[in-house]
Amino acid sequence: MMLEVPGAAMLEAVTLTKRYEDGVLALDHVSFAVKPGQIFAMLGANGAGKTTAINLFLNFIEPTDGEARIDGIVTHKEPLLAKQRVAYVSENVMLYPNFTAVQNLDYFARLGGKTGYTKDDYRSVLLRVGLSEDAHNKRLKGFSKGMRQKCGIAIAILKDAPAILLDEPTSGLDPKAGFEFQQLLDSLRTEGKAILMSTHDIFRAKEVADIIAIMNNGRIVMQEPASRLLGQDLERLYMQYMAGHTAAEAVA
Amino acid sequence: MFGILVQKELKAILLSPKFAVTFGICAFLLLLSVFIGISEYNASVKQYDTGKQLADQQLREQSSFRMIQTKAFRRPDPMQIFVSGLTYDLGRWAGINQISSPRLRSSAYSEDPIFAVFRFVDLAFVVTVVLSLLAVLFTYDAVCGERESGTLPLVFSNAVPRAQYLLAKGIGAWIGLVVPVVLALLLCMLMVILAGVPMTGEHWLRTGLLMLISLLFFTSFMVIGLFISALTRRSSVSFLVSLVVWVAFVLIIPRAGVIAAGQIVRVPSVAEIQGQRDAFARDRWNLFRQDLDSLFENRRGAEPDSMTEEAMWTHMQTQDSMRRAIELDINAFEAKLYEDLSRRRNVQERLAFSLSRVSPASAFQLAAMSLAGTDLDLKRRYEDGLMIFRTQFVDYANKKTEDSPGGFQISFSSDKGMSIGTPRSKAQLDLTDMPTFVPPVQQIGATVEGLLVDAGLLTLYSLLAFAGAFVAFLRYDVR
Amino acid sequence: MLRTIIEKEIRDIIGSSKFAISFGVCAALILLCFVTGAVNYKTSQAQYEAAKAENLRQMEGLTDWFSVQQHRIFLPPHPLASLVSGVSNDIGRTTEVRGRGELNADGSRYAEDPVYAVFRFLDLEFLFQVVLSLLAILLGYDAISGEKERGTLRLSFSNGLPRATYILGKLIGSFLALIVPLLLALAIGSLIYPILGVPLSGIDWLRLALIILAGLLFVGAFLTLSVMVSAFTQRTSSSFLVLLVVWIGAVLIIPRASVLLAGRMVDVPSVDELASQKARLASQLMEEDRTRMSEFNTPPAAPGEDFEPDKMLKLFNTFMDSLADARDKQMAEFGGRLNEDRANKQQAQERLAFSIARVSPSASFALATSALAGTDMFLKEHYRDQTMDYQQEYGKFMKEKTGLNPGGRMVIMLRDDNENEKPKEIDPSEMPAFKYAPPAFAESFGRAIFDLGLLAFFNLLFFTGSVFGFLRYDVR
Repeated sequence: MMLEVPGAAMLEAVTLTKRYEDGVLALDHVSFAVKPGQIFAMLGANGAGKTTAINLFLNFIEPTDGEARIDGIVTHKEPLLAKQRVAYVSENVMLYPNFTAVQNLDYFARLGGKTGYTKDDYRSVLLRVGLSEDAHNKRLKGFSKGMRQKCGIAIAILKDAPAILLDEPTSGLDPKAGFEFQQLLDSLRTEGKAILMSTHDIFRAKEVADIIAIMNNGRIVMQEPASRLLGQDLERLYMQYMAGHTAAEAVA
Repeated sequence: MFGILVQKELKAILLSPKFAVTFGICAFLLLLSVFIGISEYNASVKQYDTGKQLADQQLREQSSFRMIQTKAFRRPDPMQIFVSGLTYDLGRWAGINQISSPRLRSSAYSEDPIFAVFRFVDLAFVVTVVLSLLAVLFTYDAVCGERESGTLPLVFSNAVPRAQYLLAKGIGAWIGLVVPVVLALLLCMLMVILAGVPMTGEHWLRTGLLMLISLLFFTSFMVIGLFISALTRRSSVSFLVSLVVWVAFVLIIPRAGVIAAGQIVRVPSVAEIQGQRDAFARDRWNLFRQDLDSLFENRRGAEPDSMTEEAMWTHMQTQDSMRRAIELDINAFEAKLYEDLSRRRNVQERLAFSLSRVSPASAFQLAAMSLAGTDLDLKRRYEDGLMIFRTQFVDYANKKTEDSPGGFQISFSSDKGMSIGTPRSKAQLDLTDMPTFVPPVQQIGATVEGLLVDAGLLTLYSLLAFAGAFVAFLRYDVR
Repeated sequence: MLRTIIEKEIRDIIGSSKFAISFGVCAALILLCFVTGAVNYKTSQAQYEAAKAENLRQMEGLTDWFSVQQHRIFLPPHPLASLVSGVSNDIGRTTEVRGRGELNADGSRYAEDPVYAVFRFLDLEFLFQVVLSLLAILLGYDAISGEKERGTLRLSFSNGLPRATYILGKLIGSFLALIVPLLLALAIGSLIYPILGVPLSGIDWLRLALIILAGLLFVGAFLTLSVMVSAFTQRTSSSFLVLLVVWIGAVLIIPRASVLLAGRMVDVPSVDELASQKARLASQLMEEDRTRMSEFNTPPAAPGEDFEPDKMLKLFNTFMDSLADARDKQMAEFGGRLNEDRANKQQAQERLAFSIARVSPSASFALATSALAGTDMFLKEHYRDQTMDYQQEYGKFMKEKTGLNPGGRMVIMLRDDNENEKPKEIDPSEMPAFKYAPPAFAESFGRAIFDLGLLAFFNLLFFTGSVFGFLRYDVR
């Protein structure tokens, strides 16, 4: 079931398929599109294919069939061009432990093609993601997971790319940080970013996402605008899909 | 409980992928070193045999006992297969003659510098460098690695006494690593047997002791690795520290100790000693010449017809005996010089090795060399043996010379001009009762004392490191 | 972009505690090497001077050049030999010059001071080969696999970052981060020599610079090798294990094993065989000359002439000299043939040995540096040639002084019975001094250039290998 939303897609999967060398079918003809100003949330168990999809958008692996497109650019054909248009935050942000937060930001901003930032820019973006000022010039060595996650998000913001990929960005964050993150996503959406995130957090997905997809065994088994799921018990729905019900049965 | 812990440790080692790789390589290197040792030993034996044969032949070709000389050879020993030590650095033979004291000359390395470029590899080298590295490699993350992987807190959420845990870790790792090493060493011995190396019972005893001390050395490095792992929180740090400690112990301290001792205790060079000896010899010969002149003068004055041929021969014989007396004098002086030299050398050596023994690697190498009889004592032993042989040989030659003097007679006369007389008798030399050089044998009793010191040191280092690991682990923050 | 990566790489390496500890240790060892090298040189120099002085002193008071019996010359120590010992401690240094015949140097450092042979010296060559190569591995083994494990590789490649740029930046950055500090330590170390009063000539500085260059190329080869291995492995533990095995093989095993292998494959006649063949010819020639000697006779003094033993002796000595010359010529011819044959076989052996050994950068490094320091295995030959040249000069000098070359074994002197005038003492300083000339720079360089090139080639090879390995690396 495709959703018809006006405007060109920023992130787009077209019958995206990945079969690994050991024969495992990780992604099976998956199609979806994320437009500017949209947040697309993928729900699913471990091994459902969420990370594989993100890896395909980053061209870390090549698709067996189909295409992943960023701003219309096919990622496995022109990976460098495509990746200039996307920022990425991983599940467990790992940075250089011997560098300070600012040094890490500076390095990755430069890799992202942004060379003009000043110290103040780094300071303000770190404050924006909620990292207190006394930590800015400390080495990453002693940072907690939440602090590192904030740095990762800051790096993504600094890249200022039209598309953002988030791989379980809130796992391991405390409730307050989770809430702050949610606000951040809202503001990024208003800036017009197209955001693709994978998550286990059903409740937050429901609150923040524009479109929610449930994946199981490499397939999207449900893909609905969040507005249409407003009144439904998403958790019950999720459990049903996981149990192998078809979309029709579940929605009914 | 203890059994479970030991079993787990054993399994962890035996199932790790690095285990198969490293032990394959270790076994290969040990066998390679023994293979090389055997073929080098065989080559040395061949060289020794031909050398001796050629020297005998040359001896038989000589025509007079007056200037007779021969060579004494250093005999290769099967133990050099395992520990070459100074075998290739010391001269292989010494010239035995009446003029100069015997010195070992012509070392294998100086004859064929190509072998000196990279040097030989022997079992002791593989044990010192490779096995020690291996020991550290398997233990450096014993404690901190478990903490990092999160298993340590889990283990201690159970009622496990820390002391037992550490002991089990040590014992498990020890069994897991030592058994394969022992197997490899046994294979090496099998190779020696198959190659038909003539090993006596004593050789086997020495080999057995060598293997034991190798294991002791291996253990000491294992425990040091364990100690470091209990001192550090992260395995990357303990790895770095272990590597630095390894470099220092194996590569730096042994050398630095000797160099430092060389600076602290000065020993005169052989050239200086030779110079002093030559100066003494020259003075004595000058004196001799003066004596001779006056003797000649007296004789001419006393008996007018003393210039007959018969009288000249007697005169020559007196000269000869005087000359011999002076040679004895010079030898005594030289012996004194060398005695003094060797005393100072002993002091230097003792200091050098005491400093080096801070490192278990030095203690091991010294113990291995002394077990194999290829340590510094090898030189001393041969020098003493050669001195004794030379005295025998010279006595023999002198006795024979009296029986059949050789030499030339040169006569000047106004009526016959100058002419040279050939020796009186010129027959094949009868060498049946000539003394032969018996290579000195190192008594195993003599090595025991030094061996005990080194073995004791290795045990001490192991115990200290284990005690350190113990104390560190008791206060280890397992989180 | 490339610059950013290079900068980051340098900062990452230099800022790590790993670098601080390991480089600190290495820098201390480098300085220690230069200090012990300088001290060692000064000790050797003092010993050398003492031996030379002793040699002259023993001639003092002699009244006749004939009485000079044991004239020894010595291989002088070289300041660079304390840094790159090569075989300089293994070959004989003392040569007794007689005037004729073959010369054999005796008394190597290790044979005379075996206490040093037990653990050997700590020199720069050793430090580079064993310790600095380990340092290079330590800094490079996790270049790629470590970033992967840390997760930073994923983040980096979420950007439009070409792989070639990344690996290039890594290689250049880590190279600079290792080489520049090393160079600094080595430069400071080099200054220790003049500070401790060990003079280096202009050419020596050039040699030292080239030795250091060879060292840096060698370390660079190990660094690029480490990066290459890390670009082929997924986990740092496996890349380190692979590198350790390679290190043991390249540094400790291959060079030694290849020489031994070549030694087994090419048979070189032993020195004993040669010596005995020579000795046999010598005694045979001596025997022949003995008959000749017994036939020697000077005409009796003519009536009316004085009985002049001096004149007779002169005739006799000339006769003996000519015999010795003839013997020497035959011996030289025979010995030369034997030596040449052995030298040819040795050369074949050596060529084979070094061809195999050069599989390892460690062997190339040892060969290049010892050639540059003038302490490679040609030193033995070079020194012998020089002593032979000197012997000729010495023989000429003695002939001038005494009319005879003393190297003919038997010299008969007639002592003046007239004690009225005291005989004049000889002046030992008149004797030609042995001036050892180390191998010419061009010659050393010629021998080193191949290995220098080979080291550069290793760098290039591993460099390309890293790039190719990384282009297909799974960055996930």
